[in-house]
Amino acid sequence: MKKILNDPSNYVDETLAGLVAAHPEYYRLHGEDGRVVARAKETREGKVGIVTGGGSGHLPVFTGYVGTGLLDACAIGDVFASPSAEQMADAIRVADRGAGVLRLYGNYGGDVMNFDMAGDLVEFEDIKCTTVLLADDVASAKPEEKEKRRGVAGMVYAFKIAGAAAEAGQDLENVTRIAQKTADNCRSIGAALSSCTVPQAGKATFHIEEDEMEMGMGIHGEPGVWRDKLRPADDIASEMMDRLLDDMPLSSGDRVSVMVNSLGATPPEELYILYRVVKKRLEDAGATIVMPLVGRYATSMEMAGVSFTLCKLDGELEGLLKAPCDCAFWRVG
Amino acid sequence: MIGKAELLAGIDRLAAAMERDFEELNQADGALGDGDLGVTMTRGMRAIKEKAADLPDDLGMALLACAQAFTKSSGSSYGTLMATGLMAIAKDVKGKDSVDPGETSRLAALARDAMMARGKAELGGKTVLDSLDAVAKATEGQSDPDRLADAAVQGAERAMDDFRDKPATVGRARIFAEKSKGMDDPGMLAMTRIVKALAGRN
Repeated sequence: MKKILNDPSNYVDETLAGLVAAHPEYYRLHGEDGRVVARAKETREGKVGIVTGGGSGHLPVFTGYVGTGLLDACAIGDVFASPSAEQMADAIRVADRGAGVLRLYGNYGGDVMNFDMAGDLVEFEDIKCTTVLLADDVASAKPEEKEKRRGVAGMVYAFKIAGAAAEAGQDLENVTRIAQKTADNCRSIGAALSSCTVPQAGKATFHIEEDEMEMGMGIHGEPGVWRDKLRPADDIASEMMDRLLDDMPLSSGDRVSVMVNSLGATPPEELYILYRVVKKRLEDAGATIVMPLVGRYATSMEMAGVSFTLCKLDGELEGLLKAPCDCAFWRVG
Repeated sequence: MIGKAELLAGIDRLAAAMERDFEELNQADGALGDGDLGVTMTRGMRAIKEKAADLPDDLGMALLACAQAFTKSSGSSYGTLMATGLMAIAKDVKGKDSVDPGETSRLAALARDAMMARGKAELGGKTVLDSLDAVAKATEGQSDPDRLADAAVQGAERAMDDFRDKPATVGRARIFAEKSKGMDDPGMLAMTRIVKALAGRN
């Protein structure tokens, strides 16, 4: 393992300590063990709360997107491990301003179980909760089993769009409906070039040869659809776009936002090489690109690789996507 | 009757067994999952042991406190499932200082059903649910403590034997479905050890 760290068991707590120290205007730590990040300033009474949660190792997801026009709080687990139900319950409590709380997170067994359990815990305190799961990774299950798909970078769109709806004062029912509509219109796929190491495990999560890539690999190293020799950028981008557009065909006049996201180690230069093909493919389909996002939005620490996410928009979603938001990692407007 | 004294003794035996099985459970889990099942179980049982001195006489409230301690100790799915099962039993026995051993089968079934709902999983998938199901069935109609203990252990062991050669179908282990044939499911292995420790049949 070659990482800049102290004791591996302090990796997450020291990350969070540094995060709030660097950005006290955005974040504060909350909860018994400091594993909840909440907005620096309490949100106004009557605003619908949005919480998320999941394992560490994906910054800016999930914690980074706590901020105005985005999330209210986030529960943070160890690297690639679910937070506990108690931590999630603490996130829900701090996010609740009397108008209910939306739990908005990726579809992973442990997170689902713990967020459900957290819901049982806060039910005693009369906090109304709803749930929307992101299941946008097209490589993780076939369309007929799409409820089994894992949640990946599509959640950034859901945080942004649902966050804008909550900030605008919409009620829990509407914020939930809008989050679900966003989730239903997001599709993602990833491709990995190298592995990553969970600090407490001390060795790489999976092994991949120097000259190989894996199409469709998950953000924790879950097996993808094929592994083979590394291909040229344009071939990689074409295949990823094929797989996305097969799953969610676009037609002339559709409006879509697209994210070209680094899994951590891949530099912006390579993302822009890929973006040429992404843009051409969307325009060939007759779609109009709205607010393309190219950069590091959802990562797997030092993994080299990329993910693409499409988010198909209607008037309502587009307005909310373009609404202002502000956190340490992303500002719109 | 099973009362607080029996509960505390059971916690002691179980905590000791999980310390003993730490490496073995981690290794079994590491072959098919993320390799932290031993960590989850020892952490959870240590958290429960810390609370043991303060547990109330009401068995329901005592089990609820155990479930909460376990939940706080980790976010692992297995830990949450254990806590879910405990909470289901806790709700049922709330207000009682003791429980008839003859209730074991019914309570195991309650835990099984609550865990199925939380885990959104069915029986027959080679999971801890199959172990609990086997224990519930094996202990049906048993109220003599000695026979009950033997029946529970036999049920858990039989479930492992019955499922060993089947592929994993749920969770991360599903990714390794072929490889998992011939291997014990780590969650079932842990449940067998739990049942043995609680039954005093180590």
